Amino acid sequence: MRRMHWTLNRALAAAALLLGVAAIAGDPYRGSTVRIDTQELATIVSTEVDHVTPRELADWIIQGRTDYRLIDLSPAPDFAGYHIPTAENVPIALLPQVGLARDERIVLYSEGGIHSAQAWFLLKAQRYPGVYILLGGLEAWKDEVLHPVAPAAATPREDAAFERDAQVARFFGGGPRATTAAADAGAPLGSPAAPTAGIAPPRPPVAGSPAGSPAKKKRKEGC
Amino acid sequence: MNAPFYKFGAFGDEASLVIAFVIGTGFGFFLERSGFGSARKLTAQFYLDDLAVFKVMFTAIVTAMLGVFYLSWLGIMDLALVDLVTTNLWPQLVGGLVLGFGFVVGGYCPGTSLVAAVTGRIDGMVFVLGVLAGIFAFGEAFPLVKGFYESGDFGRLTLPQALHLPYGLVVFLVVVMAVGAFMGSGWVERRFARPAAER
Repeated sequence: MRRMHWTLNRALAAAALLLGVAAIAGDPYRGSTVRIDTQELATIVSTEVDHVTPRELADWIIQGRTDYRLIDLSPAPDFAGYHIPTAENVPIALLPQVGLARDERIVLYSEGGIHSAQAWFLLKAQRYPGVYILLGGLEAWKDEVLHPVAPAAATPREDAAFERDAQVARFFGGGPRATTAAADAGAPLGSPAAPTAGIAPPRPPVAGSPAGSPAKKKRKEGC
Repeated sequence: MNAPFYKFGAFGDEASLVIAFVIGTGFGFFLERSGFGSARKLTAQFYLDDLAVFKVMFTAIVTAMLGVFYLSWLGIMDLALVDLVTTNLWPQLVGGLVLGFGFVVGGYCPGTSLVAAVTGRIDGMVFVLGVLAGIFAFGEAFPLVKGFYESGDFGRLTLPQALHLPYGLVVFLVVVMAVGAFMGSGWVERRFARPAAER
């Protein structure tokens, strides 16, 4: 019988085969049990680098950016009622199973902010590096982006800034509201059908309406 | 320390460019040392008398696959963070055919043409100019081919997902395939050997 001659190539091929056999039972992806570094998470929370403001998000959507995924954590019926454009619905209970890719920037939001903060923790514990929270949740989105409030006694610069906010609001199908009777009646000043109308300069509060009081009702529909 | 280092923030964008430069230089060095700066060596694989390109590339695939698998299994690296290109079946099939056609005609692929060009080969420099012209033409024509470019989208598909097989089993099968291909390529090279004068 001829004796097997071990060249370097054969030795390397044998090593590769051996590693291949040992790999059969393995899975390189991690499971659902995790260890977390609490100090690292506490530092991220305290420096607030994981926040995205509603205005920033609105800019991203208008620019058509695709380098992030917007996740709505609401139950499906609420999501069907209203959601921020480009959002995907992932109810929080399904979050560990949906298999979000870890190399993406993930922006979470919920109605208020509690569920998104909890989901942030779940994903961070699984070492997702790019997880962000929409500051103030859907409520802040509606207040700041969909129905911005005209500033009282505005300087020209503030007026210009508000004009821009109003255009953004109309882009998303909302409209600005004022701290006046119009807002109390629940009607936004502008509407998608009349894009240039209705950016009235802020008026002083009408007698009988408590000065500086916030709008009574938020519009829940209209987008 | 966990890998991938960039995704875990071990270094920033600027440092990543320096590291990419070092890795790219190393890649070019080893291509040149394997003889891949020569169009004769590269096209020899199409005459089946020298399958060095095939063997070097398959060795690189197996080495990287085993390295990534075991580093992830040991918890040193997070495989889920490694970026994957999406699978767009039809455009990638056509793109592969175009690249293969260019390889046969020009004698280089993009990486090896750069190696040939920097080692002073004129055919390599001409090939690089052709690559740049192709990139420019594609960029200008992109609105016309955008629909096709994005067609057949299977997302970030991996072999274990596509074949519905456990990850480790796919690793084993690829290793077996590689070792079998290395043994077979030795036989093919002897079968199709040409006299040196014909090369």
